Amino acid sequence: MNGWILAATVLLAGGAGTALWGVATGPLSRRVVAQNLSTSVVCASLLLLAQGYDRTAYVDLGLLLAVLGPVGTLVFARLLAEDLTDDRAAAWGLTWTTVGVDAAVVVALCVAAGPGRAMVKLLVVGALLIGGNLVASRALSGGFQGVRGG
Amino acid sequence: MADAVIVVALLLTAGAATAAVAVRDPARQALVLSLLGLFLGVVFTVLQAPDVGLSQLAVGSALTPLLIMLSVRKVRRRGKEGGK
Amino acid sequence: MTGRTALAAAAELLAWWVALALLWLVFISTVDTLERIVGASVAAIGALVARAGRRAVTWR
Repeated sequence: MNGWILAATVLLAGGAGTALWGVATGPLSRRVVAQNLSTSVVCASLLLLAQGYDRTAYVDLGLLLAVLGPVGTLVFARLLAEDLTDDRAAAWGLTWTTVGVDAAVVVALCVAAGPGRAMVKLLVVGALLIGGNLVASRALSGGFQGVRGG
Repeated sequence: MADAVIVVALLLTAGAATAAVAVRDPARQALVLSLLGLFLGVVFTVLQAPDVGLSQLAVGSALTPLLIMLSVRKVRRRGKEGGK
Repeated sequence: MTGRTALAAAAELLAWWVALALLWLVFISTVDTLERIVGASVAAIGALVARAGRRAVTWR
């Protein structure tokens, strides 16, 4: 057990545990926010696990989740749009906290990887993760009024 | 000590599965179910089966919620039309 | 199709191809000749699809 796996364990127990509690209780607006944030927390811990096991191929799991996690949240934002018009699911404090954690994880992994193709891949994954998270949060809080409804 | 991450992933999976059963509304169940898919992917990863984890993440994070939400939407619409 | 629009289309396809081929080169684990050939062909197909998709969402 090294520091990377320890960090992934702490992130899973703290972040994903909180997300699970948030998605299982409370109003619908809180549940969709928790679902959105869970994908970025799990993605960050998958990247940490890839470094901890010293298998660069495991980074592909994080890449897949960085692409498909926001897609799943957008599915909920689109199909629950009628239920979410009454109480907007906006939690920008939590969103920016998660973005900060993701950025810190990606920067730490980049420092560990050193310059090269692996670092570029990590940066692409991080950009997809943070960008997708922000887009999904904006969609949940009703930011895209033009494409809403139907 | 090295198995701590496996224990955490299994506990999260068990918690998500229990919550998915305990929640009654299908739309909210779909939300919990997408988390369950993520945690299962993590379990497969920490058990050193990343290929299984990859397909689990692909199916569990976007595809299963989409199918369930489309079904819920269709059932609700049919209910509004008068039970046809 | 006039010469000017054809030039713009070719430039756009080339830009997509370069971006997608670079992405492929970043994501693979070992760079060798076979990977380069496969990446170049897949990036060419991807560039066609990406341009079609871009034109489909910006019709106005």
